[in-house]
Amino acid sequence: MKEKKIRIGFYALTSCYGCQLQLAMMDELLQLIPNVEVKCWYMLERDSSEVEPVDIAFIEGSVSTEEEAELVKKIRENAKIVVAVGSCAVQGGVQSWERDKPLEELWKTVYGDAKVKFQPKMAEPVSKYIRVDYNIYGCPPEKRDFLYALGTFLIGSWPEDIDYPVCLECRLNGNPCVLLERGEPCLGPITRAGCNARCPAYGIACIGCRGAIGYDVAWFDSLARVFREEGLTKEEILERMKMFNAHNPKLEEMVSRVFEEVKE
Amino acid sequence: MSRVYLPITVDHIARVEGKGGVEIVVGDDGVKEVKLNIIEGPRFFEAITVGKKLDEALAVYPRICSFCSAAHKLTAVEAAEKAVGFTPREEIQALREVLYIGDMIESHALHLYLLVLPDYLGYSGPLHMVEEYRKEIGIALELKNLGSWIMDVLGSRAIHQENAILGGFGKLPDKATLEEMKRKLKEALPKAEYTFELFTKLEQYSEVEGPITHLAVKPGGNAYGIYGDYIKASDGNEFPSEEYREHIREFVVEHSFAKHSHYHGRPFMVGAISRLVNNASLLYGKAKELYEGHRDLLRPTNPFANNPAQALELVYFTERAIDLIEEALAKWPVKPRDEVEIRDGLGVSTTEAPRGVLIYALKVEKGRVSYADIITPTAFNLAMMEEHVRMMAEKHYNDDPERLKLLAEMVVRAYDPCISCSVHVARL
Repeated sequence: MKEKKIRIGFYALTSCYGCQLQLAMMDELLQLIPNVEVKCWYMLERDSSEVEPVDIAFIEGSVSTEEEAELVKKIRENAKIVVAVGSCAVQGGVQSWERDKPLEELWKTVYGDAKVKFQPKMAEPVSKYIRVDYNIYGCPPEKRDFLYALGTFLIGSWPEDIDYPVCLECRLNGNPCVLLERGEPCLGPITRAGCNARCPAYGIACIGCRGAIGYDVAWFDSLARVFREEGLTKEEILERMKMFNAHNPKLEEMVSRVFEEVKE
Repeated sequence: MSRVYLPITVDHIARVEGKGGVEIVVGDDGVKEVKLNIIEGPRFFEAITVGKKLDEALAVYPRICSFCSAAHKLTAVEAAEKAVGFTPREEIQALREVLYIGDMIESHALHLYLLVLPDYLGYSGPLHMVEEYRKEIGIALELKNLGSWIMDVLGSRAIHQENAILGGFGKLPDKATLEEMKRKLKEALPKAEYTFELFTKLEQYSEVEGPITHLAVKPGGNAYGIYGDYIKASDGNEFPSEEYREHIREFVVEHSFAKHSHYHGRPFMVGAISRLVNNASLLYGKAKELYEGHRDLLRPTNPFANNPAQALELVYFTERAIDLIEEALAKWPVKPRDEVEIRDGLGVSTTEAPRGVLIYALKVEKGRVSYADIITPTAFNLAMMEEHVRMMAEKHYNDDPERLKLLAEMVVRAYDPCISCSVHVARL
């Protein structure tokens, strides 16, 4: 009897296409392809359909138009497992950085009074619209994030989430500390690991592209206190932390708390 | 009684970066309208970075597009450095250009082999070609891996480089790694040449033959390249980058989240073929030889010439990167960065991204971005692309719609559009 292949789909919402590109650039893809049936992957395959049933749906990008809000619902109906891929799908992406400004204002700055026949929206994570079963983090995700998730799914198991910060990997690698030794606003302490501290290894402060760690262990307040000692204002701290975490429900409250403490 | 015509539409053009569609409306008198629907959502990059700290804005710009993130990063960094009045050392500039070339190699290899070639071989996508075209897929992966490895080493990663910063680099590779880079580039050269030979054999459709105005950055040095402060047009004009608004007008069209652009009131083209049209006299080495031997193929009058033009650039930039690495090695050890004093000012940078002219204009006030204008190659190309799809449609609207759809898509793919780039969108 012929073994049934796992059907996968890769769907793009509003994004830079970098998550797909990362996957497409993996040599390991050649080993994956004979074992799966690709039902949708417009970036590489003309014979694609967004409405065919699949076992695993990978969604890249934020929901940024009314049409995309409808599309994710369709994908959910047709998929057994939905995976949000990358910072746009998981956290709304950098396009959410100014989510406090009204959409009309952003639109006016860029397009003036002109109108377009499609309906734009403020960028939002996929989970705002549908149930998401698993997240692959990063901007872009590391190749090993894909390998681990795909490998685990293909053997019928469930990948584990990462619940420790970039700091941990950075310390293990013995990099000089960008935050404490150089006083730069590194987001390593609150950001989900998995990148092997890529940027601090280059002497560059982490910008938090993998998003804040979940499970209530992203201590925005402790890091805000350190930043405050370095002379950053509340606004500056929020701005930096919001680059990839604008939709985080705890961020604003935890940072504000630090500035309500007794000032010396 | 008049016939009822259904529009011929491709909702989602496959094998391009981003989400766009083609709509061809046919009536009794032939093709009435051709629209490239750009349906990917807007991301307001200028609006979200205005008011932000310069270094944080610079971290966000490459995220406009993954296929050319290094191009965005390096162009934004140059605009920022010009704004604050800083000029990088020659060896830093050389290494930045090598990083940029990494992007060029990866992007061209990906576009030619994985996005364009399947159409010519009768496949719906590269994933089906693996068995029969093992050699081609192998070369595609090798070239693409070389490009990403260069970006990994010099940029910190292959997509969204963080290592290129104001004043230089966070960290530079050691000498041995740069020697290795040279060796790998030398090894890749025959593969780049093979790619050119392969792409000289593919059909260039006469349906879309006609005059095209080409714009490209005039290289700053005396070699064909990426950086420069003037824009050259194939009509003989030339203007300083800062004056781009006087020559190029952007406007909103209702079927696209990306604006269209006209040069002196007319559509125009940018990209590898536009670079060759304007700057081929600055080629050298193997690429110059190949160019001289294939001038008819690399002609200015057909958008399909962009495919072999990219293939020729694979040869050129592979050789060029070796020379640039040697320039940097001659000054070894190189200090990775200089301190940059953040003053107020406006900086305009124009570079040649894989898909053509990329413009960044950034104004810095009190360490923050106070004005940002970014225009991407695909936004420049959209109006011309629509014209060429129309020319194709006019010849084929009576054929099988599936055939027309494929041909229309092939026109679009020849431009190598980057739709995510185009919808970040510039201000008026």
